[in-house]
Amino acid sequence: MGKRVAYPSVTRTIRIACLASVLGVLTLGHAANAQEPGGQPSEQPGQQAPQGNTPPLVIEPIVPPLPNSAIIMSVQCAVPVSHIAAPAPLARMAEQLEKKQQLRILAIGSSSTWGVGASGYKRNYPSQLERILEKNWKGLDVEIINRGVSGELAAATARRLIDEAALVRPDLVLWQLGTNDALARIPAADFALTVRKTVRMLRQKNMDVVLVGLQYTPRYARDDHYVAIRNILKEIATQEGLLYVRRYQAMEVIARNKANQQMMAEDNFHLNDLGYQCMAEHVAQAVIGSLFLRKPRTPPRSGPRT
Amino acid sequence: MWFFGRSGEEQKKERIPSGRMLPKEAGRGSGRLSNEVDFWRGFALIIIFINHVPGIWFENYTPRNIGMSDSAELFVFLAGFSLRYLADSRTENLTPVRLFMRLEGRAFTLYTAHILITVLALAMLAGAALWFETSLLLEWHNARAFFQDTVATIIGIALLSHHLGYFDILPLYIVLLTASPFVVLLYRFSPALLLAISIAIWTVTLTFAFNIPTWPVENRWFFNPLAWQLCFVTGFLLAKPVGPGRWARDNLLWLRLAAVPILIAGLIIKMSDAYWPNPLNVPWPEMFFVANKTFLTPMRLVHMLALAAMITGVFAFAYRFAFFRPLGDYFCLLGRNSLNVFCAGSVLSLSGQIVRFAAPGSFLTDLGVLLAGIVVMSAIAWANEWRTRL
Repeated sequence: MGKRVAYPSVTRTIRIACLASVLGVLTLGHAANAQEPGGQPSEQPGQQAPQGNTPPLVIEPIVPPLPNSAIIMSVQCAVPVSHIAAPAPLARMAEQLEKKQQLRILAIGSSSTWGVGASGYKRNYPSQLERILEKNWKGLDVEIINRGVSGELAAATARRLIDEAALVRPDLVLWQLGTNDALARIPAADFALTVRKTVRMLRQKNMDVVLVGLQYTPRYARDDHYVAIRNILKEIATQEGLLYVRRYQAMEVIARNKANQQMMAEDNFHLNDLGYQCMAEHVAQAVIGSLFLRKPRTPPRSGPRT
Repeated sequence: MWFFGRSGEEQKKERIPSGRMLPKEAGRGSGRLSNEVDFWRGFALIIIFINHVPGIWFENYTPRNIGMSDSAELFVFLAGFSLRYLADSRTENLTPVRLFMRLEGRAFTLYTAHILITVLALAMLAGAALWFETSLLLEWHNARAFFQDTVATIIGIALLSHHLGYFDILPLYIVLLTASPFVVLLYRFSPALLLAISIAIWTVTLTFAFNIPTWPVENRWFFNPLAWQLCFVTGFLLAKPVGPGRWARDNLLWLRLAAVPILIAGLIIKMSDAYWPNPLNVPWPEMFFVANKTFLTPMRLVHMLALAAMITGVFAFAYRFAFFRPLGDYFCLLGRNSLNVFCAGSVLSLSGQIVRFAAPGSFLTDLGVLLAGIVVMSAIAWANEWRTRL
């Protein structure tokens, strides 16, 4: 479950800035190449520090120009990067980005993918994620295909996922899962078996998979089965080397730091528009953070780059 | 009201008013065949009702457990049969204009029925959500879109671009019926051309996995009309002993021999997970090698045709025996009133789901749901015929 630390606002900003600059250095100075934030809300000027700190671009970029990762998160959704996800390689996605400015993402899962509680379809997390990626990554054509079905258990999603993956042939699969299985008391071992089997099938076909974790709700903070499903997801991600967005933990940090910030819908279980915005920003942060991970390949490829 | 079947007038000419056929009449050409259609259609209605209550104990014993195809294929296939009877009817003398008016009128009847049961389903879910005090029920079967974003979704419902789960087969029928005058006219021009065009559309659809998008919820039609039209046209072409229908009847023994290994293979694939084709592991175009319901893949179509070859004639044979007649007549009664019974069945299976939600995990609940469903569907079929005799 990780530590639950309440970050005062100033400390948090500094920490984010530090993390961002470390990330900036790690990425061999792509940030220098990044475009202006443009219309992106920049409530946290400190986050843009890495742009100035980065060394001049000498090495061929491993991926096309990347945004300044720190500006992915808005002030309402800002969470220390380490609380969102441990980076894991997204080989296929990086490869696709090198080849062309096009990305096809399959977002599958239950009500959180569908957007229960959002004010409209353009406010669910896949739609918001598409906008974030395109806004921060000029010239990138992102197509996110939403196949969320509310209330669905992982086993049913897994069957649909295989069908949809065969039809859509995505570069990246965002699989949001676990909440319904935890509430339906699906044995953690059965759940894990389903997830492992499906993920391996997808990766065998050279598709990157990101697991997006359980919904944060104080109601189930002490629920044993809820914790068990969360733990097993984390375990699967570690063993399989998967990128796992710790949605519960990230949202918990926000909920604890900004008690007045309403992120839940009226039912007090599903997210509202802001909640989905944070979810989208966290997923974007996790994915982009993982893209930075790749070691530069030699020799650098020639050819036009945008 | 007639689903795809013949008009009421036509029915009366072929049948004695009670709807019961005398044994000697059962042996006659058109009467026997049409009643066989009603029988299997009634059978499919009961099976669809059971299959639409997921988790019910009886769903483990429906035909979908023995092979790739299920009652949906049978139903659409028989719909094609019925269209052929109408198209070939001498008494009707259908000129292109009359044909068009008749079939589009029927498509509109189906549309009103679909809107009616969709509204009933939404009201039932809303009522159950209030009664059991859980908003969870509002999420069932894609209904959430309506309760959350009514403005867009009501447009989607009216335009048939938003379907509730299990209420998605009527939109397919509506599309097929809307196109059916063209099917008939094309058939009159050249049956071979009809089959060729139908297969061509199906092939292109499966190759490029093209499907109609839904709106406002981002998805695709569960029953892809561009693929399923082949099932409809196949039924249309095989309905009468002319052309492909003649050939099929002349070679029925050989077809049955060929069907045996297909049905056994279907059983094995269904029983063991290992042989189930994984869409990720088959070559392009994937849809030709998997068992996908949305795209009516070759596996499912061939399995349905094999099943049809096996069961054809069973009704006429069994009807000779007195013990079978009550059951045969009962299924025919349902089949003759298929639109009413189908609509009732859709609403009843949703009721069954809600009952099973309220009183889960009991065989008695399941039995009660099944019996109540059958009784109500029978009563509606009976009342519909009784009403027309008044």
